[in-house]
Amino acid sequence: MNATLAVPYAQLPSVRFRRRVTVTLLSSAAIAGALVYMNADPFALVRDFHFVTNLVGQMLPPNLGLFWHKKSLLPSLIDTISMAFLATLAGAIIAFVLALLAARNTTPYRGARLVIRSLLAMERCTPEYLVLMVLLISVGIGPFAAMLTLLLRSIGMFGKLFADAIEHVDTGPLEATAVTGASRLQIIRYAVLPQVAPSIVANVFYAFDVNLRMAVALGVFGGGGIGFELNLARSVLRYRDMFACLLLVIVMINLMERVADAFRKRIFSLEAQLE
Amino acid sequence: MNPSDFSPRRYAKHVWGAVVLSAAVLVASWRSEVNFGDLAKASGKAATLVGLFFPPDWESFPKMIGPAFITVLIAAVATPIGTLCALAFGLASARNVSPPWLRLTTRSLMALERGIPEIILVLVLVAAFGIGPFTGVVALTIASIGMLGKLVGDAIEEIDTATVESVACVGATRGQLIRYAVLPQVMPSLLTNAMFRFEVNIRASVLLGAIGSGGIGYELMLSMNQLEYHKTTVAVVVSLLLVFLAERLSDAIRSHLLEGGGLS
Repeated sequence: MNATLAVPYAQLPSVRFRRRVTVTLLSSAAIAGALVYMNADPFALVRDFHFVTNLVGQMLPPNLGLFWHKKSLLPSLIDTISMAFLATLAGAIIAFVLALLAARNTTPYRGARLVIRSLLAMERCTPEYLVLMVLLISVGIGPFAAMLTLLLRSIGMFGKLFADAIEHVDTGPLEATAVTGASRLQIIRYAVLPQVAPSIVANVFYAFDVNLRMAVALGVFGGGGIGFELNLARSVLRYRDMFACLLLVIVMINLMERVADAFRKRIFSLEAQLE
Repeated sequence: MNPSDFSPRRYAKHVWGAVVLSAAVLVASWRSEVNFGDLAKASGKAATLVGLFFPPDWESFPKMIGPAFITVLIAAVATPIGTLCALAFGLASARNVSPPWLRLTTRSLMALERGIPEIILVLVLVAAFGIGPFTGVVALTIASIGMLGKLVGDAIEEIDTATVESVACVGATRGQLIRYAVLPQVMPSLLTNAMFRFEVNIRASVLLGAIGSGGIGYELMLSMNQLEYHKTTVAVVVSLLLVFLAERLSDAIRSHLLEGGGLS
């Protein structure tokens, strides 16, 4: 700033530049420190890369003959899809009822709303892993436990979303229906439901996508389905079988995305017809 | 309400949908071994089991802090590295920056990655790198690239072309074009998405711990396997706290970013 500077101020790095350099250096140092703290060596990625190539070598070619030899593989795929499907559907139905009880404009009792809302919040907070473990012990290892875990998860997720959607409906149709002498159920059927249906449908399809991935993951922990088969193949070091399962998972998830998209389009066109 | 409301014809078109749906539900409940008799018995068992979790063993709380820190670090390291890689992938997968062959390759790679759940990714990586936090970092980095890369790519394809053209007009190279016309437009959305991803990564990091990346998820699994349910409760409380704090932090930073501040 003053004349004592050896270099003209205009040639010094700008404040912005210096700040950026500091931020970059500090964050790099923080990341490096974190890696050291975790005993994780990023160079292991390069040094131990032969493990990856080894693994890939052991995985190739995928044992695609497994689909024919192993009779339990195709049913296990259907198991996984079944879990996600049932959990999403039942979760949506149960959550809708709960949401009606949790929304301000459909349930006048403050206590009831509070209880339902806090139950839903509690469910959303509990880690899936814990829910699955408790259910695995109580209903036994298998797809039913995983399905129940996904069901609880869906209820927690949907319940809040639906309740918020119901609270934000336009009050005009509600009052108009009420004026004609409709009962509370009729108001819900003819004034609330048509307004929230599009958001419910969209959420249900999104949740199916999430639940399907989760169903694969829960299978790894003993929830049955294709995740279980994949983990089994891994734990006995049959990597070619594991790769076949992995391919199956990828194909299944992509295929179900397409199927869900087709259904969604159909449902929205039906809704448009009803309008 | 006119009488035709109850005519069968009005509901006839829904019959097939209802039949297909009930058939699907039946098949699905058969395959997922739904059993309501079991459920009644099991809820008693579950209640007893949940009872075992109380009272929490608060004395093990100090022992949980180290693992919790590891869980946070896994997400905190994987998110920025993943974001940087995602930026490169996003640039490579944008129509207006990269040639078609590169776009197709990166897009299909990322789509492939998004099709794989994180847990499965970790299972495969554990086979290569063994058990440890590093496996978790690699897995979450890859998972972050899959999601953020697509978002960045889409954002770059939708940027305002006027800025790009005016920078190109003054004779900027491709690198300069990206630096001065593309990045400033996608940076805010990238950062907000990265904050959201951090939240997702924290949750995933807890779960991945149970398979072998260490941290609080591992403590959770260990204490359950050793039937020390009182400790499990503490681990659950700690992981809840982590998720809650991560949510708050990412919310705060996101709203700060959305208000236009802090991008220096």
